[in-house]
Order: sequence, then C-alpha cells, then structure tokens
Amino acid sequence: MSGQTGEKVIFAILGVPMLICILIFLWILSLLLTGIGTVRWELFTMSALRGGMLEMIVGTIYLLLGAAAVAGPIGVLAAIYLVEYAPSGGLTRIIDQAINNLAGVPSIVIGLFGYTFFCRHLGLGVSLAAGWLTLALMMLPIVIRGSEEALRMVPASFREAALALGATRWKAISSTILPAAAPGVVTSVILGMARVAGETAAILFTSCVLITRGLPKTPFEPVMALSYNLFVQIVALGAPAQRVFGITLVLFMIVTSLSLSAILLRSYYRLRQPWLRMKG
Amino acid sequence: MNGGEKVNRERSHGSIQTSRAIIVMTLLFIVGFASGYYTDTLFSSQTVVWKEDVAWRTESISISGSTTVLPIANACAIAFMNKYPGTSITVTGGGSGRGYSEVIDGVVDIGMASRPPKQKEINDAKEKGVALWLYPIALDAVCVVVHPSVNKTLKLTLQEVGKIFAGIYTRWSDVDPSLPDEPIYVVVREPGSGTRGTFEEYVMEPYGYDVTDAAHVRPSNPAVRTTIETTPYSIGYVGLGFVTSKMVVVALAEEEGEPYIYPSIENIASFKYPISRYLYLVTSTRPESGSLADRFIDFILSPEGQEIVEEQGFLKLPRYPAGV
Amino acid sequence: MHLRSQPIEFVLFLCASFSVVILLLMLLFVVMEGSLAFTRLGTQLILGQMWKTNSDLYGGFPLIYGSLMVVSGALLISIPLGICTSIFIAEILPFQLRDPIKSVIELLASIPSVIYGFIGVTFLAPLIASIFGLQSGATAFTASLILAIMVLPTIVGVSGETISAVPIEYKEAALALGASKWQTIRNVILPLSKSGMLASVMLGFGRAIGETVAVLMVAGNVAMVPTPPWNYLAPVYPVTAVIAMQMGEAAVGSLEYSALFGLGLILFIITFAVNTIADVIVRRRPVGRSVQL
Repeated sequence: MSGQTGEKVIFAILGVPMLICILIFLWILSLLLTGIGTVRWELFTMSALRGGMLEMIVGTIYLLLGAAAVAGPIGVLAAIYLVEYAPSGGLTRIIDQAINNLAGVPSIVIGLFGYTFFCRHLGLGVSLAAGWLTLALMMLPIVIRGSEEALRMVPASFREAALALGATRWKAISSTILPAAAPGVVTSVILGMARVAGETAAILFTSCVLITRGLPKTPFEPVMALSYNLFVQIVALGAPAQRVFGITLVLFMIVTSLSLSAILLRSYYRLRQPWLRMKG
Repeated sequence: MNGGEKVNRERSHGSIQTSRAIIVMTLLFIVGFASGYYTDTLFSSQTVVWKEDVAWRTESISISGSTTVLPIANACAIAFMNKYPGTSITVTGGGSGRGYSEVIDGVVDIGMASRPPKQKEINDAKEKGVALWLYPIALDAVCVVVHPSVNKTLKLTLQEVGKIFAGIYTRWSDVDPSLPDEPIYVVVREPGSGTRGTFEEYVMEPYGYDVTDAAHVRPSNPAVRTTIETTPYSIGYVGLGFVTSKMVVVALAEEEGEPYIYPSIENIASFKYPISRYLYLVTSTRPESGSLADRFIDFILSPEGQEIVEEQGFLKLPRYPAGV
Repeated sequence: MHLRSQPIEFVLFLCASFSVVILLLMLLFVVMEGSLAFTRLGTQLILGQMWKTNSDLYGGFPLIYGSLMVVSGALLISIPLGICTSIFIAEILPFQLRDPIKSVIELLASIPSVIYGFIGVTFLAPLIASIFGLQSGATAFTASLILAIMVLPTIVGVSGETISAVPIEYKEAALALGASKWQTIRNVILPLSKSGMLASVMLGFGRAIGETVAVLMVAGNVAMVPTPPWNYLAPVYPVTAVIAMQMGEAAVGSLEYSALFGLGLILFIITFAVNTIADVIVRRRPVGRSVQL
C-alpha cells in the first residue's frame, strides 16, 4: 500500500532533525571529552590555590543549594495556591502571566536587577547571598510550574476523601496531596538547579570573584563558581582549550548527576504512584 | 578573758590577717595588671611596639580592575596565600575603569589599572575625599599587531595608526600602495579597558580622532589575540604579554621622520617605544605599614613577585636590569 | 485585592504573588537606573544609529537590530528542527528510547553558555569563514547557529510535553476511525499541540534574546546595521553583549550606566510583549489540557 510507504518516507524526514540534534550533541560531547585528560582526582580535592577546583565546585554547590532553599518553599507554596485556592479570574491570570514573564526575562536583566537591588540597594555587595537571591529568581518559574503539574496530577479523590473525613482545607492538602506531589516537587527543584548551574550572566556582577582563600564563611562574602571561573579563564585569561573543556566536564558531571537523580526520582515514583501513568 | 576567747581572738585575728593579705594581694594584682594598660596608653605613642605585628596574617583584602594586570595579580595572590596561610586575598577583573571606581568608592582595598587615572576619576576621588596612590608593579607596552597576511613587517607613525582605527583609511593599499588592496579589519577593546585607554591616549586623542563604528569589539587581550591570529588583514592592539609568533608587531614612530621603534625589551625599558606603559596597583590611602595590603604590594615588587610578572609575559620594573 | 480570610491562604497568596511583586520591582529598578538615559537621550537610545561611548553617544538601534537579527536567525533554524524532533520523539520513537533521548537533548541545555561561545569561536567561526570565503567567521549567522543549538532543548522539551499531554483518548479515537499514524499526527495531535508549541517557541525566543556570553564571543561586535540589512554574514553587536562588556566599568550613575540599563529595559519590554502575545494565543485554545471524557 502506497500509504504505508508514504508514511515511512514522512517518518524518515521527521527523523532527520532528530538525528541532527543527536549528532550535534555527540559532536559537542566529543569536544568536551578532549579535556578529559585534565580532569584528575586532585581537581576535586585540591584547593584552587594549588591548581585544584575544590572551592569552585563547592562554591557552585553552595550557590545551587541556597537558591533552591529560597526558590523551593516559595515556589511550592505559590503552586499550592494556584492549584488549590486560586479563583479563576483577573488576579490569578495576572499572577500566571507574571510567572511566565519571569521565566522569559533575559538572564542579563536578572543579573542587572540582582546587582542594583540585592548588591547595592540591600547592601549585600558581591556576595553569596546576592547570588542565592538572583539565582532563586531564575529557578522560581521552573519550580512553580513543575510543582503545579505535580499537584494537578494527584487525583481529586485524595482531597475529597480527606475533606469528607472532616479535615480543614489546608489539612487536607498538607496531609494527602502534598506528600503525594512531593516527588514531583523535588524533581522540579532539582531540574531548576540543573538549569541555573551553568548560569553565568546572573552571577557575573552579583556574587563571584576569580580567586580568594577558601569558601565564604558568611553569606556576605563572594564565592568562586565553576561557570564564572570558566568565563574568566576563557575570556580574560585565554586558557588553553583542554583545560577549559576539563573544567566544563566537571560542571557537566554536576549537572548530569542532578538531572539523572531527577529522572530516577521520577521513574521511581511513577512506579509507586499509579495515577501518574495514566497520562498519554 | 579565758583561753577560749583568746583562741577565738587569735583565730579571728589570723583570719583577719589572711583576708587582709588576700585583699592587699588582690589590690596589688589589680593595680599591677591595670598599670600595664596605663603605661601602654602613657607611652605607646612614643615607644616602639616590641611584639611582632601579626594582625596581617589573618587579614583579608580585595582587589579588582584591569584584565591586563589580572593574570599578574592572580598569580601573585596565589603565591602569597600559599606562602602565608591564613591571609586572604580576593581578586577579580572588570577593567581599569572598574578598578579605579571601586577603589575610590571603597568597595575594594586595591585596584588594578593598566593606565593612569583619567581626569574624571581624579575629580571623583577629590569629591569623595580620597587620594589615589599609584604603585607601578610592571612594565608593559601596548603593541599594535596585524595578521601576517598584511605584510611580514610593518612600520607606521602613530598618526597613521590613528587614521586606520578612525576609519580614515579603509583599505591597506590606502596606507601604503605596496600593501594588499584589502579592507582593513579593525579590532578594538571594550570602552572600560585600560589597554584601550592607553592606546587611544597616544594614537587617537592627540589628533582628535574617534574610533570608527566599523571596529570589532573584543572583551579582553586573549580575545583580541585570537582574532588577530585568525583573521586576515586584521589590526588590533594587545599588551606585551599577549604577542605571539602568529602575528606581526608594528614598529611605531612618534612622528613622520622619527625612527620606527620596535617594542623590544630594551626599547620598552628605556621608554623609546612610544606606547610603553606601567601597570599599576592603586589604593585610596597609603596602606598602613605592616598591613596585608602593604605586604602584598611589597611582595609584588620583590624579586619573587617580579619573577611572576615576567612569567606572565610582562617586563620587570626598570630597577631590575632588563633581561635579568 | 481583598485579604483572604484564613492566614494560611494569605501566606500562600503572598508566595504566589511574589512573582508579580518581583517582576514589578525589576521593572521599577531598571526604569529607575535607566531614567537618566531616557530623559537625556529620549528616543535616541532606541533609534539613534551611533553607539560611541567615548563621545557619550548612545544610539542603540544597531544593537537592538543585532539582537533581533540573531534571534530570528536562531528561531528560523531551531523551530523546524525542534518541532520535527519533538514529534518524532513523542510519537514515532519506540517507547523505551523516549526518556533517554529526551535526557540527552536536555543535557545540551546544561552546558554553560561560555562553552558554546568557546566552541563557536574556536571551531564554528573558522569553518564558516572558510565555507563562505569571509575575512572572519564572527558573524550574525554564526551567532544564530550557536543560539539555535542552545535553544533547541527548550523547544524540543516543551513541545514534547505538549504532544504527550494530548489525551490518549483522542489518539485512540482517531485510530479507531482507521486513521494512519501520520494522519493522526497531522490531523489530531498537531492542531491540539499548536498552542503549546507556540509557547515553546516563545520560551526559546526569551532564552535566545537574553543570551549574553555566547553571542559576545561569536557575533563580531560591530555597532552598525549590516549592509544590506539582511546580510547575516556580517558582524552584529547584540544588546546583551554590549551590556556584559561595558557594565563592569560604567561608573554607577553615569550616562553610560544608565544607557545600559535603558537597553536592558528595552529587552525586558520586548520579551514581556512576546510573552503576553503568546499567553493570549495559548488562552484561546484551552483544548490542549486534559479533558474528562
């Protein structure tokens, strides 16, 4: 039947873009792997003062965890409001649009705002805390949207059952829906962290320095981060490609482990939560 | 009075003695202790402090500014911190302009600059009531470089270079008929760059030229270096430490008729080369003697620090014979 | 805005409106810092053709044009590529391969932009220079290519989600009616996912126009509109590159500082407008969401 071969042709055509995507990825990965030679165990354990990357790696983790600590709670609570409490209407639409817009703000503008508001206006200066707040702004839409989706997937029967048993609205949510949505929420936080791990523009003016001794002892000190270090190495110091790709691989490893844990979490809980599998 | 009373009186007399002794000793102790402070205040302004000043060993300072000086400050900070554990030196880039403004505003302790302050910065410092102390730490030259496709050697006057960067000459054959008839690819640095500032001070400002709109902006010395190395018929400027064998260095003459000087070590050290310059560390007050800032500046000026300067591709300060 | 009766609900409401507050704050501060430029320069900031910092001339037209040029190029490349890929992944690829391939493409998104810039300068630019016989490969085209790669995961990811969100009942209904796989895709899935795909494109637009470091390294950075204006093989100077390069040393409160913030505001407004339009279009087609049958 010519219909079927026609279909196959169309599928083949559609498959080409995907192949191109995979090829691009493989090419970039192969470039990065040329730096594998510079990635030694010492890179992770030695201080930057001795040629290692310890403070940059930990600094990046500090930044991510702090941003998650800020964006996580606010994001989840916001998502709960939007899913469970928000009346459909003007104000809710405005909030919804604001979240979409926040997701679309160019990272350099967020960096500018972070610098002028957190660093100068609030007097935080170039600091870890300013980095947390600025990165949290970038993570927030991801956390809200992901949490919203996780909350919406929980069958309504959960809440109804709790309400039928006499619980208050909030109690019903916190005791039944929230725990059920927790894995999805955690996944979205992790994905948010993965997204901002490689972020440079936002922390360019707000929190990073090239070299300093040790990690910040208070959140009001600046921090060393992998993405910023990469930026300075390439642009200002003209480091050789191998070293650059080596540092990228380290960053890549961090992001990949974050994404992988999110994916594993997702699959694990998909097994435990049958209602999630009903999606087409 | 019977024996018991006497014993009592003796015992109480003894205990009174003891408590008196204790009181006296305590008073003496307090007086002795306090007198230490007292004598300190009395005599401290006149006497030499005889315990070693160790405060700097746990101090921390911050440095920001020129990306030309950045590799030097970065390497020196690492060496210094490894030598003296406990000290903390924070280094970041941003450009000479940022270095000056952050020192003036008190945001950093030391600024890095690849040019002397502009009038605007001097005024700014005056307004804010601070001085600007400049410490030359290295000798550098702004080298005008071209891609080898232009020619194997090139000799230009400062004004000719100015005309190229101003877009008055647009093809190499305009500059000299023996050169290729190709469009000139002009590469410049970002406005805050000290290298750019120095370059324009010698090559553009004296003639009232302004940089052409068609100039390609690059954010750092390494970026300019890569561009010149890979783009035929390109011209740009870099600090001495960034010149490579893949580019041709232009010999410059201050004016028509003057000899063309090549930025060799001797010519830079003797300031024969027209665009020789010092690299500076800048502070807004004279660093306190013995403080970390003071010691770090001393370190960079020491033979060890000057070795690092040379490692990074720059020249030691002239008090060291060139080439040593 | 009336106060909610219960304190818990109020707290939740506060968290939700946090986004609105932050957005307004951003707008406020960027406008504040940019106000000097607007009062002194007026429309020159947007329409002026000359950007000369030395002479305190801040005409941003070539810069804005550069940004838009690079973004449209990126979208032209990544939209067909991304949407076809997402269709293929969601509908044609065997079930087991879907998540791994999706993750692989998502990993592209996690590479820091400075690496893309580095790859662009070191590998892509020389390639383009030799293919097209150019003096230099630092062009709008190169920047568009790099941006397209960076934006691909966003388009593939969000479109993919939209496609999989089409209720399975619709697909089953089509198959029951005897439609082939391709017919199902063309007549059922695509129309229903249109709004979601548009949303992914808008998200991609936002990411592309906001990209700073990568374009700074490959776009060429010449503050002029190319001649002719559609010449992608000429260098351009996107707004984000200017801000990143000059922000570090612009003295706080100076005209330069203010002009940079003004440019940032313009970017902000453009993305805001695009997002709002996308939102309006998405709202007109609510069928993309789950429907109880």
